[in-house]
Amino acid sequence: MAIDTAESDRTTEPKRARSSRSLDAPQRHFRWIVLTPTLGYLAFFTLLPLVWVVALSLFNYSPRRDGSSVGGLGGENPFVGLQNFQQLFDFSGQSQLSQTFQTSVVVTLVFAFIVLPLNLLITLPLAVMIEAAARRLRPFLRTIFFMPVLTSAVAVAVIWQYVLHPQYGLANSIIGKFTGETTIISWLNDPSMTVLGVPVALIAVTMAYLWMDIGYNLVIFIAALQGLPKSLTEASLLDGANAWQRFRFVTLPLLKPTILLTAVLTMISSFQAFDLFQVMTLGGPDNQTRVLSLDIYENAFRFQSMGWAAAESLVLLAIVLLITLAQSRLLRSKWTY
Amino acid sequence: MATVSVSETAPRSVTVVGPPRRRVPLGRPLLYLVLAVAGLIAMLPFLWMLFGSFKTGQELRQIPPTFWPQSWTLDNYRTILGDPDLPLLTFYGNSFFVAIMNVLIGVFVASLLGFIFAKYSFSWRQPLFWYLLALMMVPPSVLMIPNYLILSELGLLNNLWGLIVTVIVDPFAVFVMRQFIISLPNEQLESARIDGASEWRIYRSVVLPQVKPALATLGLLTFMFNWNAYLWPLIVLTQTDKRTLPVILTAYSTQHSAQLNLVMAASVLIVVPVLIFFLFTQRWIVAGLTLTGGK
Repeated sequence: MAIDTAESDRTTEPKRARSSRSLDAPQRHFRWIVLTPTLGYLAFFTLLPLVWVVALSLFNYSPRRDGSSVGGLGGENPFVGLQNFQQLFDFSGQSQLSQTFQTSVVVTLVFAFIVLPLNLLITLPLAVMIEAAARRLRPFLRTIFFMPVLTSAVAVAVIWQYVLHPQYGLANSIIGKFTGETTIISWLNDPSMTVLGVPVALIAVTMAYLWMDIGYNLVIFIAALQGLPKSLTEASLLDGANAWQRFRFVTLPLLKPTILLTAVLTMISSFQAFDLFQVMTLGGPDNQTRVLSLDIYENAFRFQSMGWAAAESLVLLAIVLLITLAQSRLLRSKWTY
Repeated sequence: MATVSVSETAPRSVTVVGPPRRRVPLGRPLLYLVLAVAGLIAMLPFLWMLFGSFKTGQELRQIPPTFWPQSWTLDNYRTILGDPDLPLLTFYGNSFFVAIMNVLIGVFVASLLGFIFAKYSFSWRQPLFWYLLALMMVPPSVLMIPNYLILSELGLLNNLWGLIVTVIVDPFAVFVMRQFIISLPNEQLESARIDGASEWRIYRSVVLPQVKPALATLGLLTFMFNWNAYLWPLIVLTQTDKRTLPVILTAYSTQHSAQLNLVMAASVLIVVPVLIFFLFTQRWIVAGLTLTGGK
């Protein structure tokens, strides 16, 4: 036991004389008073659920049926081994459940890969433009775009349902103004409409999601821009670089680490999107907007097939971990300025 | 580096001799035009909700729809506030209780653990800290099923405490607090120890006062996150009178999908008061979000 006097968080430097002093009795005492309940809590509310969800995924479990005394597993909730997982990846098309799961993975991927580029394409230029605006206007502009972030996703969903309403909605009315004829697009429940192969309902929820989410990345980019060394942009200004060149050759390379990190965080959170889908479409029409989180929720709490849902949730976990790993690889390359 | 290529390829400005002069960018009007349009698009859904809440049901169903209400009415708000099936104050109370409890407990626990992780050294500190960091990556959908079963065993379903007990140790908050506390000078803590202060006293009187901004930021983020939370409350709270505002808004909007004027008034009543509070405190919220890059 040693007290860490260095400001770094390294513990692996035992040779340093100054860190070799032992924690004295009151500190040990205090540490145990704090950490004993913490460890107990973490064991009960984080480790136990993690073990439990893995266990559930190996059973055909429903809380409606009676099982053994150990978490209701066994008995009428039989152990099925890896059968749930085999069925998740059964592509024969015989099982409705498997097909729905596979559809939901595809919908989630499509959603995430639409959201990411659009988000960055909006937030990055917008952040640069806001920073280029007059100083007094900046907080005001930032606030406008940040307001949806502060609003509950459910309210966003309800507002957008009204914006996208086929008859009384704002979206159709604006389109009607431009085309000059009454437009009635059923944004949220017409399964036949697609744009470039993407169902219009998915596009509609994506619009609402982007509206809700851009403020978040925006403030991160604004903060990053404010943190850039002024000398570099000023130097390029003296060199006669125009606005675009300054952005392309100075700002963008400097922002690269922030952009990468933001991209990964945006991707991970879009993989877990639930609220808007649950309120706006409930997965419809024809499962076109059934994202993975929604499918897990419905299977677990509507149909009470918790074993199946647990297996699905582990697939989601695997996807998120894969992205995180890929990210740490990407970020490992050195960026300096 | 890329800057070099700029200086080589870009045409040199003629006016560069002498002190650097601030150039008047040609794109100024264009910049403000784009920003104005983007800002308008960002505001439109809010305005649509606000104006919709002041329209009569008849006007709202008009085709093509009006943007600005033709005749302003407060009837929607009267209906909502007088609806015995929608005791908004109860739901405000529920949401507030959960959010405040989670702020108080969460910030207390996170600062205490942050203190330990930052300033105490013991062999299993790093593994424990990594475990907490790893937890941050686990999607809520993974833990919600077993946590639901645990709450059901504990008899905490349909109980507001169910929304509190599962998030007492917030890894993100612990991480933030540790980052702040680690920068406090150790000499301070040492001299307090020499003066005979207990560890609790050091936490209370040396550490906490110096991380007040972090506590405020974290408290606000926790409040906002809990206030807007939907998935977990939806699962835990199935009895109407126990629900929090987001859950009740969905339920109300589903029941009254034919009366969007009422739904919009309900949305305004649920969104606007807290939005105003968040707007006044957004400096700290933004600081918290950008500091850590995490939600």
